[in-house]
Amino acid sequence: MRLLHNYHYIGAVILFCIGLYTVIVRRNIIKKLIGLNIMETAVFFFYISLGYVDNGIAPIRVGGADPSKMVNPIPQALILTGIVVAVSVTALALSLVILLYRQFGTLDVDHLMRDEAEEAKEAGE
Amino acid sequence: MGAYRHFPVLMITIPMLGAVLLPFLGYLRKRWVATATLLPLAVSAVLGLLLIGRIPADGYLSYELGSWTPHFGIEIRVDYLGLFMMLIVCGISLLALVFSMRYIEREVEGPKLTAFYVLFLLLSAAMLGFTATGDIFNLFVFMEILALSSYALVAVAGNRNAVRAAFKYLLMGAPSSIMVLLAIGFLYSVTGSLNMADLSTRIAESSYSEVLIVAYILFVIGFGVKAALFPMHMWLPDAHSIAPSPVSAMLSGLLVEVSAFAIIRVTFSVFGSGAENLIGGTVDALGIFAAAAVLFGGIMAIIQKDLKMMIAYSTISHIGYIFLGITAFTAEGLAGAMYHVLDHGLAKACLFLCAGSFIYVKGYRRIDDLKGAWRQMPWTCFAFAVASISVIGVPPTAGFISKWYLILGNIEAGNYFYVFVLLSGSILAAVYCFRVIYYMFFQPPKEGAWESRTNEASPSMLAPIWILSFGTLFFGVFSYLLIPSLLKAAAFLL
Repeated sequence: MRLLHNYHYIGAVILFCIGLYTVIVRRNIIKKLIGLNIMETAVFFFYISLGYVDNGIAPIRVGGADPSKMVNPIPQALILTGIVVAVSVTALALSLVILLYRQFGTLDVDHLMRDEAEEAKEAGE
Repeated sequence: MGAYRHFPVLMITIPMLGAVLLPFLGYLRKRWVATATLLPLAVSAVLGLLLIGRIPADGYLSYELGSWTPHFGIEIRVDYLGLFMMLIVCGISLLALVFSMRYIEREVEGPKLTAFYVLFLLLSAAMLGFTATGDIFNLFVFMEILALSSYALVAVAGNRNAVRAAFKYLLMGAPSSIMVLLAIGFLYSVTGSLNMADLSTRIAESSYSEVLIVAYILFVIGFGVKAALFPMHMWLPDAHSIAPSPVSAMLSGLLVEVSAFAIIRVTFSVFGSGAENLIGGTVDALGIFAAAAVLFGGIMAIIQKDLKMMIAYSTISHIGYIFLGITAFTAEGLAGAMYHVLDHGLAKACLFLCAGSFIYVKGYRRIDDLKGAWRQMPWTCFAFAVASISVIGVPPTAGFISKWYLILGNIEAGNYFYVFVLLSGSILAAVYCFRVIYYMFFQPPKEGAWESRTNEASPSMLAPIWILSFGTLFFGVFSYLLIPSLLKAAAFLL
């Protein structure tokens, strides 16, 4: 029953696992980045659901609003910061992807790493 | 209450403000950028030095940002260990910066030069904030600033390998940051607080032990990737060996240590006092990984052909040392870990800067090419030898003192196997360090490789190298200046 009551946590966990799976398994680095963003979204979702109140109202104490009905504003404020951070990480990662594509002409992780092994071999000889 | 109350927050904000203003200066007067970068860091270092003696070993300095009382607002809390760490960050950043003023122009050119200095300043500021903050969400924000600037700094040279190493680092670093964010969410969901001091009392009273354990494991994984703890180290050898040498010195001498310090914070300041039985199992596992790191890093360092690669693997080994000090859970162990942070920061920064001068003067990266190097670069080679001796842990250097306390701490905790691991780590270090020293001093150079004595590295590159290697000797001989307070501070944390 407790699990059913906290169904939003299950949603966050499933989303997180989808993201992690994508980051680990997919070979295309753009897809990896999408997976990363899905993971981040899962965590954001988890935070926001922490402060959720059924039929809640905005936490503004004007006009004698009932504090017990207000949603918790702190997770929302935190996640606003978290979204900014996530956007910057994605921006930096995408600019690195552009550079990678210019240098190697591929977005496939296997190709990138194979090149590395070959270069290391050449350097060793 | 004097003006010094404001020093910790100024130490963070001045470099950060400098990083914001620097691009404008770069637009107007490009030649002054390097000098202008020194200024905010020097101010921070001076403020930090003025704080010495004002923070007792068993106390702390608390600052309420925006006058919001802690628990509601963000708190900056600097205790003795925090100040110790902040001074290390200021000192090594300054020296690495002085070194890079001449070095970096060869690897980075044009408009990217300003970007390099901005990122460098941002990295230092983020590390200062990371060690000083008393708010756990703020810790995450500073960690992300630190991580983003370090990804960019690894890629700053812009060639194939640099971009690939940076991307590899990002692919491991970004999920680890998400883990930390998730752990903070777990803590918040069961305690309703984000202030570290407040958290520690609430954790002691909390009945949600499973959630707390999972949160702690996520913290360890998250910070462990940033600190390159053994099974999560894959990004480190590439990133540290391919980045420009002053950046390697920053990453290897500071960033991994600061991340290890974050684990000290989480373990002792947040969980420690009331939750030892909760996190005991994870700490034991951490000890096993740390022991594996000491041995793995040492063995991998021995088989490397590239000098910077060897130093990078040696860093993995030494991160294991720091973690073995943490997991001992004794005052000696923790004091040893903190002293090892100092010693490793000085020695590793020195080794990477030496490797940088070899690359700058001759373009040699491989250890084979260093045969007979002392004929041309005696000063660099001697500094390299001193720092290597500290890495091994031979008596007059700081490396000996820190290893001594690490071993004492582990004996007191009854972990005799870890004592054995710590000692064999030193033997491995001796193997990989003496090989380089032997090549440098006792092997004839290849034909035409090292000729005249006149062609040393320039003074602005030699000075930081020598200050760092002298530092390892100084803190080895005068360890009594710091060790009693460190022991007291460690006992206070436990």
